[in-house]
Amino acid sequence: MIKTENIWKTYKLGEVNLTVLWGVSLVINKGSFVAIMGPSGSGKSTLLHIIGALDVPSQGKVFLEKQEISKVSEDTLAKIRGQRIGFVFQQFNLLPNLTALENVILPMVFQGTNEKQRIERAKKLLTDMGLEKRFNHKPNELSGGERQRIAIARALANNPDIIVADEPTGNLDSSTGKKIMEIFINLHKEEKKTIIVVTHDPNIAGYAEETIHIKDGRIIQNHFQKEKILWEKQSV
Amino acid sequence: MGQIREYIKIAIRSLRRSPVRSWLTMIGVVIGVFLIISLLSLSEGIKGAMMEQLNMMGNDLIIIMPGEINDLATMMAGGLELTDDDIKAIKKAEGVDKIIPMNYKAEAVRHEGRVKTVLINGVSWEEGLDLLKDDMGWQLTVGDWPVAGKKELIVAKAVPEDIFPGMEVGDEVSIRGKNFKVAGILKSLGNKQDDSTLTMDLNLFIEVTGEREGAKVVMAKIKSGYEVDEVVENIENNLNESRKRRRGEDLPSFSVLSSEKISDIVGNVMAIIRAAIFGFASIAIIVGGIGIMNTMYTSVHDRIKEIGIMKAVGAKNRTITAIFLIESGFFGLFGGLGGIILGLALAKLAEFAVQTTGTLYLKASITPQLVLFGLAFSFFIGCIAGYLPSRSASKLKPVDALRYE
Repeated sequence: MIKTENIWKTYKLGEVNLTVLWGVSLVINKGSFVAIMGPSGSGKSTLLHIIGALDVPSQGKVFLEKQEISKVSEDTLAKIRGQRIGFVFQQFNLLPNLTALENVILPMVFQGTNEKQRIERAKKLLTDMGLEKRFNHKPNELSGGERQRIAIARALANNPDIIVADEPTGNLDSSTGKKIMEIFINLHKEEKKTIIVVTHDPNIAGYAEETIHIKDGRIIQNHFQKEKILWEKQSV
Repeated sequence: MGQIREYIKIAIRSLRRSPVRSWLTMIGVVIGVFLIISLLSLSEGIKGAMMEQLNMMGNDLIIIMPGEINDLATMMAGGLELTDDDIKAIKKAEGVDKIIPMNYKAEAVRHEGRVKTVLINGVSWEEGLDLLKDDMGWQLTVGDWPVAGKKELIVAKAVPEDIFPGMEVGDEVSIRGKNFKVAGILKSLGNKQDDSTLTMDLNLFIEVTGEREGAKVVMAKIKSGYEVDEVVENIENNLNESRKRRRGEDLPSFSVLSSEKISDIVGNVMAIIRAAIFGFASIAIIVGGIGIMNTMYTSVHDRIKEIGIMKAVGAKNRTITAIFLIESGFFGLFGGLGGIILGLALAKLAEFAVQTTGTLYLKASITPQLVLFGLAFSFFIGCIAGYLPSRSASKLKPVDALRYE
């Protein structure tokens, strides 16, 4: 379970302070598939980065299960990112000098997994993604859809509970994007992963179980599941 | 550790990404290591050649020469002599068993129609032959030692090879109109100059050259039971005494040398040369290191996004530092490898050149330790050079790094 308690994110730009998140509180339950949707500049990516331990809030607390991660050391955050969270980015963010296989192996190297296991698991993950013929290709030799699938395989390398995706279909055409979202649905259903997707596109958000709306750094729609269920009951 | 291997892979990949830049980066280290390796191995070789020569000289032998050993230039210019009085004074010194005066002079020598100027040594066979054989390592490859009373001489190794090709034992040579038979050919004396001489009995020498008195070199054999240093001092004292008594004359100074003293001098000279080599080479290597540092800063800058990606998938700060440190270490290592290969090539080339033309029989000294030291040292330099850039890479914040275009 992921919880944020009244988190703020402010950047100092010379003399001016830029506040991107204004006291955001939310709860994401374990095993749920959530979309965070909002227009450009709404702070959704910043929120995702903080939830994903890539960044820390200027104020407020973030909890990953019982562990508070808002004020821990860089090394601890790195460990969390490596072991418990898998990232998927809009621009894929693969290392251009490494092959598909090596890209997927990389997170496991950082966790000290032994070589044989690393290679086996990477091959399995890429095969699951339908890329068994692409092990030794470099990213620049592959299509956008293939690259994103490598990125997803990489995100799964250390078998994290949580997958965090920032506009995963943003650089893909709609049919490829659909395939990617179906992979996420599968990961959610079959492997019981917690999946958090940030998007501006309602179609993409529609794949998720629930959507959190964010605008100007604030959650608009009331998020807590209880209230949502009540609301839905009311509308029925 | 399996991780280090992966980091090495990453490092080598990025080195190969822009080969031109990589090569340019390494040039500084290549030059520095090249200087160290080639000059060190040559200086070791020179030292070795000199030591070998010294070893041929026994340690119960003292050599007395006119001139100050410290003023090598004047000494080498020649023309200085020890007088007969000097020779007597040396003989009288306590602890001196035998003395063998030697003289030499360049003369025109004729053999089978060819005339060349050759250095001729004059040594008393009666007194000196044993000393030459036992203490100075003189040996014949062909022929016999000259018989007393006969007009015979021996030639050193290079004479029948380079000066009078085709010369054989039994041939006749003519010096200032007098004929001599070549009785034997010597084994190499260790340096080209000595190997280009003729040697005859002192009496014959005096007859031919007209040099009646004095000696250019006096060799003194020490009586058993005496310490070398002691006898050196005695000889010096005696010579000084004898000269004091002849105060009216202007006499050149002298040097009394034991094999120990000579090897000390050689050692000192070599140490100075080595220090100079290290000095220059260090400068080159520092410059090379700065080149690596510059490239690493650029490399880090080019890969800010990659660093963000690595951090996003779980790399700790020290992992990033390690990856870049290994990369800069490899710049040093490959630069060092290049320097070593070039350095060894040059040393071998110099060895070849000196052997065919020069004065010493030089052997370039290439030990595995030298090579390993060179490689380790260059890797180390690379790591030092890359330290600051690697640290700055590790401090990048993941979000900022990922955002960088």
